[in-house]
Amino acid sequence: MKKSLVPRLLLVLAALAAAASAALVTTMATPAFAQKAVKIGVLTPLSPPGDAGAGQFIVRGAKMGAEDVNARGGVLGGRKIELVIEDDSGTPEKGAAGLRKLATQDQVSAVIGQFHSSVMAAAQVLAEQFQVPVFATQASARGITEKHLNYTFRTHVIDPDRCQLWSRWIKERGFKRIALVAENTDYGVGMVEETKKILPTVAPGTELKTIIFDRAVVDLTPQLLEVKNWKPDLVINGGVGTPVYLMIKQAFDIGLIPAVPMLVSYDAPVRPEFWKNVGDKGNLVSFIVYYHPTMKLPARGEAFRKKYQEQFKEEPVYGAFNGYAQVELLADAINAAKSDKGEDIVKALLANKFDGWNGTITFTRGEGPYWQQWSPPMLIVQYTKPEMAFSDVKIVFPPELKTGDWVPAKH
Amino acid sequence: MDLTLASQYVLAGVVIGVIYSLMALGITFIYGIMKMINWAMGEFFMIGSYVQYALITAVLGPSRWWLALPVAMGSVFLLGLAVQRLLLRPMYVGGIERRDEYATIVTIALMIFFRNLAIVLGGPNQYAPPDYARPVTLGTLPLSGNRFVALVGTVVLLALFFLAIKETWIGRALRGAAQNRVGIQTAGVDVLRLDMVAFGVGVALAAGAGALLAPDFLVYPENGSISTFKGFEIIVIGGLGSIMGSIVGGVLLGVIEALGSVFISAAYKDLYGFVLLIALLVFRPTGLFGERERTA
Repeated sequence: MKKSLVPRLLLVLAALAAAASAALVTTMATPAFAQKAVKIGVLTPLSPPGDAGAGQFIVRGAKMGAEDVNARGGVLGGRKIELVIEDDSGTPEKGAAGLRKLATQDQVSAVIGQFHSSVMAAAQVLAEQFQVPVFATQASARGITEKHLNYTFRTHVIDPDRCQLWSRWIKERGFKRIALVAENTDYGVGMVEETKKILPTVAPGTELKTIIFDRAVVDLTPQLLEVKNWKPDLVINGGVGTPVYLMIKQAFDIGLIPAVPMLVSYDAPVRPEFWKNVGDKGNLVSFIVYYHPTMKLPARGEAFRKKYQEQFKEEPVYGAFNGYAQVELLADAINAAKSDKGEDIVKALLANKFDGWNGTITFTRGEGPYWQQWSPPMLIVQYTKPEMAFSDVKIVFPPELKTGDWVPAKH
Repeated sequence: MDLTLASQYVLAGVVIGVIYSLMALGITFIYGIMKMINWAMGEFFMIGSYVQYALITAVLGPSRWWLALPVAMGSVFLLGLAVQRLLLRPMYVGGIERRDEYATIVTIALMIFFRNLAIVLGGPNQYAPPDYARPVTLGTLPLSGNRFVALVGTVVLLALFFLAIKETWIGRALRGAAQNRVGIQTAGVDVLRLDMVAFGVGVALAAGAGALLAPDFLVYPENGSISTFKGFEIIVIGGLGSIMGSIVGGVLLGVIEALGSVFISAAYKDLYGFVLLIALLVFRPTGLFGERERTA
């Protein structure tokens, strides 16, 4: 028995070696081996306490962007774009850990998807350290681009512009007493500071009351009772994610809205979940959007809109547009740089023009927060009946883009 | 000072304090019998809210929300029995040296597990069951009908709990176990079974709070975290292990937060409870109704 064992073992080893060689030859012959994929990280909130709804839309858009780039043959002469999706849960510590993983373990060429300003503030420092370009997809705090970091880019609005917009609207409507109820994050606190600066210059004589609440809080009744007792002409809802809905519901329950109009500080109400979460209590709410279905879009935006409608049977939302456009512009930048190295991509981003979802995107190193910054349009719209589809909402501000009149509550 | 606003704050504080006391009662009841802290109470609150939402929207319809409440509590009670039997009972059966640490690790692991399970099953988004009732006015306070229903529901549940604890055999056995676990065994009571019941009842109370508050505070994987946080604050104020302490502590916390909102600002509402908590820890560490540990 012992004599026959050695030749048998040799035979098995030889067979295994032959199989391994064959597999190696096959692998080397495939384009995947010859053309290693270029990785792009999508670091975005996909679980609470982050605004997971927003993160899901950004991921949808980014995936469609990668599909389109790959369908056109990829980048750098045939290399595919591969997305590495990472959940930051809307918390700075998870955002920092996520960026570190993407940069070191996954070795991505760039990171997109940042939604919460506090998370972006933590992630961008690491991005600078690892020399990986990071994009704010929907994080709008002024400080993000005001730090003048080489690897930080943004294709989203900044808070001074947001506060400028609502200050102009407040002036137009003649509101005199404004209550701003904002969460205790970089976004919320930043909005309070900007509004304190901008409102008196744009709408002199306007009184402003600000309340900052803890983002994790679920009962906003005392804060809203204080606001109601102050008798404002307008309440600005400065929550993000769950607090947006909680504030609408609880403000309605104590009789604050709709008698006093409410403006939601960003585009959360466009999501299909809005009416399910707030029901009729969301009627007459006004909110800021960066995209409206009546917009005429350039070829890239129009193609995305059609494809999205076919795939999801609903109107695309801004986060998806921006996620899509950021993957597309990164692919263009990688091709222009002829490299997937962060340093080269940054040079290409600064030196070239890119097709965005709503026009040409360029990045310049301007003053203050206008550093490597491109801003989409900003509009104020209003729901005027319960269960109203986003595609039916009218633009009520600015005047040059207005498609309908703002409707106050009937007393 | 605006008296109307002050009265509104106090009423709002009492209402939410009473509702939160249901959570605190669950924590303190489990501690009283099993001498362990259940760190996953917020997740049982969360499960209660999900079951309530699923039953109302998929099975019973909006008008029969009141029927969904006992079903939500009952299903979480059964889940509690299973969790206690499988994961917690072993520490009472074997001669485990560091039982408190074991309980802490197991319940924190449960917290993470249930939270992630909710994300896997229901996604990270928020859900809202239809309103239980139309808005009402309670004295000077305009109040959501849901919260009024939650207040009434809490009072009913508290009354039923006290009745069961005072008048039934199992209630007396549970009180006996809370006083002396060894002594009750000498009377022939199976204390391990009592532990199961206590854990089940405790988490069912949390689920009741979650189900009652679902339309107001929404349904999502982390919706129980604030209630747990308040629950722990209340039991420290009221005294760990004291049933009366959890009710009085709840109301007191609500009133203190309300008074802080009146005299300082509603923006720092959650801070005022902490000031009270720190003061109590300094001057009366056992809480209002807690007792010092008796050592031989």
